Amino acid sequence: MAVNPAPRRVRDRAPWRLKDRRYRAAAESVTAEQRPERPQHEAGAPVRQSSLWRDAWRRYVRNRAAVVAAVAFGLLVAFCLFYPLVSPHDPYEVNFSQASESPSLEHPLGTDRFGRDLLTRTALGGRVSIGIGFAATIAILLIGVVYGSIAGFVGGWLDNGMMRFLDALYGLPYLPFAIITIAIFGNVTFWVMVVALAIASWFTAARIVRGQIITLKQNDYVRAAKAIGARWHRILGRHLLPNTLGVLIIAIFLELPAVILGEAFISFIGLGISPPDASWGAMAQDGRAVYRVHPIEIVIPSVAIATLILSANFIADGLRDALDPRTKET
Amino acid sequence: MTALVIRRLVWTIPVLLLVIFLTFVLMRQIEGNPFRTSERAIPESIQRNLEAKFGLNDPWYVQYAKYVEGVATFDLGPSLTQRGQTVNEVVREHFPESLELGGLAFLFAIVVGIPLGVVAALRANTPTDYAAMVVSNLGFAVPSFLVATLLIYFVVVRWGVADIPTSGWTTWQSKILPVVALGLGPAAYFARLVRGSMLETLQQDYIRTAKAKGLPHRRVVLVHALRNSLIPAVTAAGPLLGFLITGSFVIEQIFAIPGIGRYYVTAVTGRDYSVVMGLTVLLAIIVIVANLVVDIVYGFLDPRTRDARA
Repeated sequence: MAVNPAPRRVRDRAPWRLKDRRYRAAAESVTAEQRPERPQHEAGAPVRQSSLWRDAWRRYVRNRAAVVAAVAFGLLVAFCLFYPLVSPHDPYEVNFSQASESPSLEHPLGTDRFGRDLLTRTALGGRVSIGIGFAATIAILLIGVVYGSIAGFVGGWLDNGMMRFLDALYGLPYLPFAIITIAIFGNVTFWVMVVALAIASWFTAARIVRGQIITLKQNDYVRAAKAIGARWHRILGRHLLPNTLGVLIIAIFLELPAVILGEAFISFIGLGISPPDASWGAMAQDGRAVYRVHPIEIVIPSVAIATLILSANFIADGLRDALDPRTKET
Repeated sequence: MTALVIRRLVWTIPVLLLVIFLTFVLMRQIEGNPFRTSERAIPESIQRNLEAKFGLNDPWYVQYAKYVEGVATFDLGPSLTQRGQTVNEVVREHFPESLELGGLAFLFAIVVGIPLGVVAALRANTPTDYAAMVVSNLGFAVPSFLVATLLIYFVVVRWGVADIPTSGWTTWQSKILPVVALGLGPAAYFARLVRGSMLETLQQDYIRTAKAKGLPHRRVVLVHALRNSLIPAVTAAGPLLGFLITGSFVIEQIFAIPGIGRYYVTAVTGRDYSVVMGLTVLLAIIVIVANLVVDIVYGFLDPRTRDARA
């Protein structure tokens, strides 16, 4: 068994990125917590994972900041999803007679420089921004799970080579590569943005999954499963991957802000989603033209982005604490 | 230690080759030929000559080898759309501004972020700490284009605190706002890192020892605790650079600074792919070299990483 637990390079030990450190803490904690429980799950016994998740839930709801963040996050997403359905205004209809209006009863956030209702536009832009965010995050995690579990599970020279490849790409500025990817596709659509952002930022997720798989692989229950003749796909699918779930859930809320900010930046510099389609970044770009006279137009989408990022950060912190009882007490 | 440095240096070469290769492959996927656009009808023979001149007919590995050779000799090739201009000239013309912007923003982050983190850690769980953490959480989450816009709006347009130019990169006054806008995120990042590691360091036995032997508080904090708390901040410099590069794309756009980030966007929209490629490779090299330096500095700062296998 070519287990390779010893970090070979400085980078594996050093807390390179804030994100990385949180990931790693999360990775360690989930493993540590699940370890004593796992043997009961062996030999086809019903999996009693509910207690772990119930514990985590109990710890999470005790964390006030995390709960507030989760509520804010949920409200924002719900608003973006449902408001356009009930809004009396057409988000695309240009009406210069009511351009750049201040907030009023009819337009709670005012109108943009084309006379479109800002509240409706913000919800619409949120659909695109959050949609791209979630789609790209899921893509990142999928690539990460596949790449990371192959490297971690097979081990040996393959793991070595795959990780060296990751090292090479790690830390590269993602923006130029995302921009080049967009240029390859020629025109910018929702899915092009998703692909561009995912291609440029799947490295951390892959690394985390790989580390997690390697740690899990050394558990006694994996050895036991091997001893009773479980095939590799059963070990991977039944014993290893389900245990990475905790880390992956945390990872969603760590990747999401980065991806949404990336989309906003690309759209803001004019290479992403372009008008009349809305995304928060594209709206901010639109608003920049008139910020001297009507600053609310750039403030609203930016505040939406900030709210989303902030709440996602706190949710990630709360999830980490919830899945790791040890750090909670300190 | 020497072994570590040498190993890291040698390892940098294949990384550079791979990164150049990937950029090269990506760039070749982009549709279209800069000389075969419909807007500019050029006779067939001239097109062929142009393609031959820029080596577009060579097999891909020859092009790649030529490109690597060029990078090794600091020659990034000619611009495809600006006649007679080379990518090197573009870099020489626009890079100093970006470097200065990034450097000053980095300085700002250190000067603001580290003291903020130290103060927050020393007054942990007091209103001061909470205020500092609110500021740093916000600084981290608010997109830099909003920071930049609000700075311009309030400082110049609304309050008229200072009559400073909001575009360009000439006088020192014109540099204040972009530097603050770009440096705020990294400053928040530093503050969080330093606060966290400072809290950890303050629990250490040697801090108690230093206090017990009667050293002044100031000395304990600044010399014993701060020095060791800075290690995470040093290691954060690598990713921070990526942050600064990304941020500079936006900030240069807003403040009309003629730097690399702004030119990059222009080159992408103008389909000047040799410039895009050259600048991408340049940015990648900068990041790789910065990570190399950080690794080595880290080895010096934290002796524990030295003897381990590199």
